[in-house]
Amino acid sequence: MAKDLDYAPSEPRTIKKSLGAKIFYVFIYIMLTIGSIVCVLPFIIIVSGSFTDNVTILKEGYSLLPRNFTLAAYQTIFKSPKDILQAYKMNTYYTVVGTFIGLTMISLTGYVISRKEFKYRNTVSFLIYFTSIFGGGMIPWYLMYANVLGLKGSTLAIWFPALMSPFLVILMRTFIVGAVPDAVTESAKIDGAGHFTIFFKIVLPILKPGLATVGLFLALGYWNDWYRSSMFSTNSSTWQLQFYLYDLLNATTAMKQMASNVSMKTADLPTESVKLAMAVVATGPVLLFYPFVRRFFVSGITVGAVKG
Amino acid sequence: MKKKVLSVLMSLAMTATMLAGCGSTGAQSAAEQLDEQGVTEIAVETQAAEEAPAETADAAELDLSEQVDLVFYVMGDAPQDEELVEAALNEKLLEKCNATVDMQFSTWTEFQQKYANEITSQGADLIYIANWLNYGLLASSGAFEELDDMLDTVAPDLKAMVGESALNMCKVGGKIYAVPNTWPEYVSNGVKYREDLRAKYDLPVPNNLENLEAYLLGIKENEPDQGLLTVTTEESSGFKTAFDAAWVLNFKYPWVSANGLDYGLAANYDTPTDVYDYWFSDDFVDDMKMLKRWADEGFWSKSALSDTNNSDSYKNGLCVAEVAGQNPNKQVTAIADFANAGEGWESAYVAYGETTGVIYPGHATQNGTAIVRGCKNPERALLVLQAMLCDDEINSIVQYGIEGTHYTVEDGIYKNLQEEAGETATFPYEGFNTWNLRNGETKLPQKTDVALQEMFDKYAEMGAKTKFPNVNIYDGFSENYEAYSAERSAVNNVMRQYLAPIEAGLVDDVDAAVEEFRTLVKDAGLDKCREEYTKQWIAYCEEYDYK
Repeated sequence: MAKDLDYAPSEPRTIKKSLGAKIFYVFIYIMLTIGSIVCVLPFIIIVSGSFTDNVTILKEGYSLLPRNFTLAAYQTIFKSPKDILQAYKMNTYYTVVGTFIGLTMISLTGYVISRKEFKYRNTVSFLIYFTSIFGGGMIPWYLMYANVLGLKGSTLAIWFPALMSPFLVILMRTFIVGAVPDAVTESAKIDGAGHFTIFFKIVLPILKPGLATVGLFLALGYWNDWYRSSMFSTNSSTWQLQFYLYDLLNATTAMKQMASNVSMKTADLPTESVKLAMAVVATGPVLLFYPFVRRFFVSGITVGAVKG
Repeated sequence: MKKKVLSVLMSLAMTATMLAGCGSTGAQSAAEQLDEQGVTEIAVETQAAEEAPAETADAAELDLSEQVDLVFYVMGDAPQDEELVEAALNEKLLEKCNATVDMQFSTWTEFQQKYANEITSQGADLIYIANWLNYGLLASSGAFEELDDMLDTVAPDLKAMVGESALNMCKVGGKIYAVPNTWPEYVSNGVKYREDLRAKYDLPVPNNLENLEAYLLGIKENEPDQGLLTVTTEESSGFKTAFDAAWVLNFKYPWVSANGLDYGLAANYDTPTDVYDYWFSDDFVDDMKMLKRWADEGFWSKSALSDTNNSDSYKNGLCVAEVAGQNPNKQVTAIADFANAGEGWESAYVAYGETTGVIYPGHATQNGTAIVRGCKNPERALLVLQAMLCDDEINSIVQYGIEGTHYTVEDGIYKNLQEEAGETATFPYEGFNTWNLRNGETKLPQKTDVALQEMFDKYAEMGAKTKFPNVNIYDGFSENYEAYSAERSAVNNVMRQYLAPIEAGLVDDVDAAVEEFRTLVKDAGLDKCREEYTKQWIAYCEEYDYK
């Protein structure tokens, strides 16, 4: 052993890789590199485009680094930031309220259908699961909220429909079954705890990764949604952020098309660089926020996968 | 065992969620969804149809004692000062009709779908209609209230102002379902070109194919680096052309783009029921060879078929002419843009109709208002519509906002106060997007409208000389392709894939490519589409007496 000491100390720790494994690693790294380039490149182009002069974009196309650097696009957006700030505010509101209430309802449902003493748990699970395959379709869905519940124009219509999804309920139930052994709840029961005590004091603390995962699914869903604003909003002050942006783009295309048939004004449409700057402003905060919860996200999903 | 079942369930659920996700984001086109709904509505609505006339007969003397709150559904986005203007409007409406109106906006996102929803859910009372929103199809499936009797009893002023002939154009199956605006508008397609360059190099005015070619060649010679045309497939997604450059053929035939029939069929304006074939004629091959020559001359980019976003290139001087999707209004916008650019550029316009002699204003159903069937107070809604269109005071509030706050009138010209001051207009011109409430007699012109009106007057004079003086015989037609929708989309695919490169001149051998296109488009079911389409078209011409 002593003779080998002139080797670098780290050497003995690694296991020698076979040729096959090396090729495998090279292959994997190449694939991952390509994958990440595919993901990152469009975003870089968006960011650099947002700093590029609009005429340059039209003349020379997009580039990786901004040419003719200018802040004009951002100045245009923040000249009257009222709308975009309002959209941010509403989006935060929908995300916080929706995620909180949704998480509560999903974890409570998950807990109930995971309990063995609940006789009809399989029926209830099936009913929940059933809705994920068979739905009424768009029109009945719309009529239900607009006419039957009369929610058109209310902010409730925007966060209420997405509170629970069958997928997340079943995911949560799997978490609970996997992470909370029967023995634990049983012992709590013997000590005299009721369902609420068991749920809040025993199950919830163990369930943190599950809550983080489901919460992140919900939060991302809420943050990125635009469809319900499109369907139910009657006032632009209740718009979701993504809808605000999406509509801006749609308005540009629609009005250009319309202008071939109808005399109408097409002067004040946003330019290319303003559109890109909009995208940056909208996605920026999520990008900053994502790395901090990613930890939970990854561990949460694996916990479910291994133990479920 | 249980775990297995669960995991199967889970994966199924995940797949289902994904599928559901795809469904809701609109794999189906909006137009298709609209049609589907149009179809479902027939069954639901016929009952209501029978009840409606009885009500009308009773209400000869309209009772205004009760206040009625109406919803007016329009397209596009709301102006910032929506509430302010609505308040002013409702003050007047309460006084005159004892009613209020809440304007609701479709926004431009999925507007086709939402428009259909609005009709299905009967959420609105008054609604904007247009031929591009499938007015004909919707009306025939019972989406709107019949207005024939009501116009006489409730709104005789409105009827008199709009006039018999315009109302006739809004008839579907012999009944009036909509009230058009009263501002004749010419959306005649044409060529927008750079007058300054033309004059500089002493080139001909591009008012026919030869002159257009000479104009483009002349600029190419004198300024080799200047882009000539930025044509793409953007304006040619329908069943008439597949590539924008083919619009220039409008100089040769009056029926290529907007005036044409679908599926490569053609009919001259004077003899609309005499439908003949274009794609299988020798003319077609000759025209395609000409386009190939133009492409070889480098009039447009070799990657034109995959290019998008051409709309700002003329404005920024990247091309010297635009040939597709142009109209007088866009020309007026271009004049203003060039003035802002301050580079000494000048834009001029030649409508294709000036060369072919076929020119007419927009169809009455281009901008109109209907009452949604199921509206609880159709008479009052019509009365409100009459007030909004005929009453000058109310009309100007709806169209321009509040005088002194939003706009002012100088020498009979509309002036937006905020835009003058360099701010964003909180209620721009026609801020409610109510193009359907344009009153031809009282419409305030904007600064740019002076030039526009000059063009309109010129076209009106020419249009008066046609066989159907100033009548748009084409846009009232709406095709019902339910019976052959599969063939129709197959034909569309062939057009996109095979016709587009031919029209873009990007094939080596035109004859062979045309032959291939003809075979494939026939295989796709062209004959069935043509047969049904021709039948419907001729029936339409008979109905409106376009013979």
